[in-house]
Amino acid sequence: MDALTRDQLAIEPARVLTAPDLLVGSSLPGWHAAGGGIGLRRALEDRAGIIGVLERAGLRGLGGAGFPTHRKWEAVAAQPGPEKVVVCNGNEDEPGTFKDRFLLGRTPHQVIEGALIAALAVGARQVVMYVNPHLGSVLPTVAEAVAAWRADPVLLELAAALGGPVTLEARASSGRYIGGEETAVVAWLEGSFPFPRRKPPFPAESGVHGKPTLINNAETLAHVPHILRHGAAWFRSRGRGGAPGTKLFSLSGDVQRPGLYELPMGTPLAELIEEHGGGMLMGRAFKAVFTGGPSNTLLTADHLDVPLDFDSVRARGSRLGTGAMIVVSEGTSIPRRVTEFVEFFAESSCGQCPPCKTGTYQLATLLHRIDSGHGTRADLDSIRQLCGLLPGSGRCGLIDGAVTVVASSLERFGAEYESMLRG
Amino acid sequence: MSAPGPMPPTAIQRTDATAIRWIDATAIRWIDALAACAAAPADPPAPDAPALLRRWHPDAQPNATEPLRVGASAGMRCPPALAALLQANTLIDDVDVAGAAVVETDVLVIGGGGGGCVAALTAVAAGRKVLVVTKFGLGDSNTVMAEGGIQAAVGAEDSLQAHYDDTLAGGQRAGDPTLVRTLVSEGPAAIRWLIGQGMTFDLDESGHNLRRKRAGGTSVPRILSTRDVTGLELMRVLREATLLRPGITVWNRSPAVELLSDAAGRCRGAVIYSLYLHRFVTVRAGAVILTTGGAGRLHINDFPTSNHLGATADGLVLAYRLGATLREVDSFQYHPTGVAWPRALRGQLISEAARSLGAQLRNGRGERFVPELSPRDVVAAAMLREIGEGRGVERDGCVGVLLDTPGLERARPGVLAQSLVSLGHVAHKSGVDPVREPMLVCPTLHYQNGGIAIAADGATGVPGLFCAGEVAGGIHGRNRLMGNALLELVVFGRRAGAAAAGLAQAAGPGGRANLDHVQDWRRALVAAGLPLDARAPLLFPEIANFDLTADRAPHRAPHRAAAVAA
Amino acid sequence: MIGVEIDGRSAQAPEGTTVLLAAAAAGLPLTGNVGCMGQGVCGACRALVRRDGAATAETVLACETRAEDGMRVSFLDRFTLPRQAPYDETALADGWAAYERMLELFPNAQNCRHCSGCDRACPKGLSVQTGVMQATSGDFGAAAETFALCVMCNLCAAACPESIAPNHVGLFARRALAASQRPTDLIRRLHQIVTGAMAVETTP
Repeated sequence: MDALTRDQLAIEPARVLTAPDLLVGSSLPGWHAAGGGIGLRRALEDRAGIIGVLERAGLRGLGGAGFPTHRKWEAVAAQPGPEKVVVCNGNEDEPGTFKDRFLLGRTPHQVIEGALIAALAVGARQVVMYVNPHLGSVLPTVAEAVAAWRADPVLLELAAALGGPVTLEARASSGRYIGGEETAVVAWLEGSFPFPRRKPPFPAESGVHGKPTLINNAETLAHVPHILRHGAAWFRSRGRGGAPGTKLFSLSGDVQRPGLYELPMGTPLAELIEEHGGGMLMGRAFKAVFTGGPSNTLLTADHLDVPLDFDSVRARGSRLGTGAMIVVSEGTSIPRRVTEFVEFFAESSCGQCPPCKTGTYQLATLLHRIDSGHGTRADLDSIRQLCGLLPGSGRCGLIDGAVTVVASSLERFGAEYESMLRG
Repeated sequence: MSAPGPMPPTAIQRTDATAIRWIDATAIRWIDALAACAAAPADPPAPDAPALLRRWHPDAQPNATEPLRVGASAGMRCPPALAALLQANTLIDDVDVAGAAVVETDVLVIGGGGGGCVAALTAVAAGRKVLVVTKFGLGDSNTVMAEGGIQAAVGAEDSLQAHYDDTLAGGQRAGDPTLVRTLVSEGPAAIRWLIGQGMTFDLDESGHNLRRKRAGGTSVPRILSTRDVTGLELMRVLREATLLRPGITVWNRSPAVELLSDAAGRCRGAVIYSLYLHRFVTVRAGAVILTTGGAGRLHINDFPTSNHLGATADGLVLAYRLGATLREVDSFQYHPTGVAWPRALRGQLISEAARSLGAQLRNGRGERFVPELSPRDVVAAAMLREIGEGRGVERDGCVGVLLDTPGLERARPGVLAQSLVSLGHVAHKSGVDPVREPMLVCPTLHYQNGGIAIAADGATGVPGLFCAGEVAGGIHGRNRLMGNALLELVVFGRRAGAAAAGLAQAAGPGGRANLDHVQDWRRALVAAGLPLDARAPLLFPEIANFDLTADRAPHRAPHRAAAVAA
Repeated sequence: MIGVEIDGRSAQAPEGTTVLLAAAAAGLPLTGNVGCMGQGVCGACRALVRRDGAATAETVLACETRAEDGMRVSFLDRFTLPRQAPYDETALADGWAAYERMLELFPNAQNCRHCSGCDRACPKGLSVQTGVMQATSGDFGAAAETFALCVMCNLCAAACPESIAPNHVGLFARRALAASQRPTDLIRRLHQIVTGAMAVETTP
């Protein structure tokens, strides 16, 4: 959080979500003064057109998946009946990701307004702000903001449009890593442990207590009022190289100025590190980046030119994920960082799927053995075997993410592992 | 199904891995044997045990044994596979341990099966610091595989004397009377101790007394048990107790490769190889207890074995080199009911509990040929006689006799499901429904009857070195009764643990220790004209694909270590 | 012959053999994940296997699992458990206090999140989660029965996200129950031995 108060937030002109006048905390009048409410007003005026605007804007899910937002909304809107739910996912617990906590803690109203627009678009009368309770004062801030909206007459207009009273509430999430997975969100809101469930059915068909449920990441929803206010073309023009909009990048690791940067989608990795991050720490050489999760394929010096948008990163064999960029310099042990991440995944695995829990522990054990200098070639072979055997063995993607990090680090830094083997 | 009658005998393939080297006979086809079993059999003939054993017991075959040429028991006969290890050169030299880390403890226990845990728990209870080193993981041993039970004379109609007499007679009167008396006299106390550790024993119908089963070769029912997983119950309780006991340290995957001694010839520790660290570690100790078990994985006389993978006679090798004497090392137990078919499960055990509950053995003609609850050596020899005289049964190239589980189930409906869980487990893995189909069984190498000679406190001929469990000799004579192995490891584990603790307290930990005996040993080998290129202890049998040289230095290991093959 | 892939090594093995024997045939060192070689009681050969075309991997004991063509296998280490509170047999001695002691020694046992991972992980098909519930509710008799055929392979402990170590909870219940056994025949025999009423005459 410290990093967020630093001067890097002054970088213009990209800032849509983090412009200084938006950082009003839970003050609803402050949000209105900054132009808040206009998006919702437009939505009320043309309810049927909301999803089309998002489609033209090209907004995609910014929690990591990059799934086109309008399609998700369409799926829920297509479900019959008034009993639907919109959930703003603010569970954020991935290592290296710290964007949602900024939005929800410093400028929650745009997120709430986005959620209300979503409710209007899909026909939901229940809106839940699902917030990680372990993020300092973020949850209380959201709760205050929610209370302010409840007292706002616009909710009555919303109720009139939706044919019944609208409930808006802030709910503490489990705060567990796994609790951010969509079906886990549903389980938690139903009062159970946040276990991911098998899909299908997807929450859009059958979510909280069987109701069609729209679950969007906080950053995704935050863009919505701005898009409705300024239009799809405006949003598209915020990005670079054809990628629409802006993205919050959580830059951390061995850079001069780690922090949260809102930059045009499609900003090259090198630019993020060099111009915004101030370059590598103490003049060290760049080695690699663990992206968003950190459950994706590592980016290396060969990828410094990659534009940071969903399609470009995927075209280079990795994923943008949450926009977290954990930068590693030469002199830092890749196997050690990978070991730390895999240990995190092993701890976070929910337990339902034994191959996930035992497999991640076994990976961590073998990695630790190599990292501590006792590893042998057989241990490396065993790691490779696990990477081949495990994927797909979980109800959610945790095991796949863990394997991706390990496998890609082996592929791209195999020599470093080899050099650490005993003998 | 064809009617029983004359049938063309099927020749056993001599090259077949399931054939027994010194038996050359034909066998009756499986399908014909099943047909022959349709009729109820007559009672079996009473065997002439001595003659039967002389002619058909594997240990009695020509070339089954050879005399030892060096060491404290030179002249004693033992199987060539064991002799090769006992008379081999050491795996290590002074130079290998020059830079090794040194660890000190009061009592060092080598071997992590039942005996090792009992000894460790006893020594720590006496206030000593204990280190247990084990080749695999703690409890991965033969103890955990014991199914039948543990003998102790607790029944009202039973007595210590009856237990003593049965044990001595079952062992062909070769056992040491003092050791046997100690074994049986402390049996009830051993059971009490096990209960105190939290071991469950089955109770009889009254709910007040211990349930007792009948063992082969005994005069009264004396086997106490936990279903048919007694060893599992004993081992999991003792393993937990050992792992959780402050004062006991356990090193898994750490085989001992050599014992250490001081100038006075007293055992003062051991050199351990850590498979985690790929390094040698020197352990200095006030006293050492060997609980390394037996030698089944040497496949004596080419038999399959029921033993776990670590049964490679390491303890015998180490102790013998340091001057301990041996006894009855030419005598092994071949458990009658090892799996003969299917091939992948060959040698695995079907508990004596099956025969104890009334299952009969039948040959290819459907005949019973031996009272099923005779001592194990007699039953096994009788089975080999049937096979050797052409009355064995052949199935897919595997030869044995039939264990009539369908007959048992007919006589006692439900008994297989209720009381023979492990048998059902083996049958399931074999793809056999034991209610409908008999099991094909053949003797399997099961137990080392002899071992290192000990006194009643587990002391060997080498000061500071104690033994307990299968590695020790003198209790079972030339044949062990069912249930006496578990009892032995508890009784003598406790005695060895207490004696070692006492000695270690008197001596203090550590002290000067070296490998000087290695030079003497090599001189003796050379003097006897024995080669120095054969190395022991074996540590792991050939199937384990272990190469010490490669494991120590994976980057520069061109060839397999020179451990002698069994 | 069938083809299998074990810990990074491809191997041919005869049909009908076990995963463990296939590992031996592949030339892999059998020095860690092995013990009883087929009886299925030592629990050392725990492994993850993925059958050809299967949607997920599964936990098994390698000595009890038939090797199949196209099977992929990863052996799992003997897990170093989260440090378990030590106790000795004195914790079992007072049957009245055993329940309290268990709750003290296994504080996580009450945190079961009912994920059923332990049940799925158990190669013996035990109702592990139910067993933990039985133990934590004080029903040691039921828990002892549930865990009667547990081989302590620790797969449930490895699979448990709350670090409950279910098999060790079950074993505590079994031990506590057993330690209160006072068989009449044994008591009588011990009395006879202590008083010298029964002894052994050694015969040469």
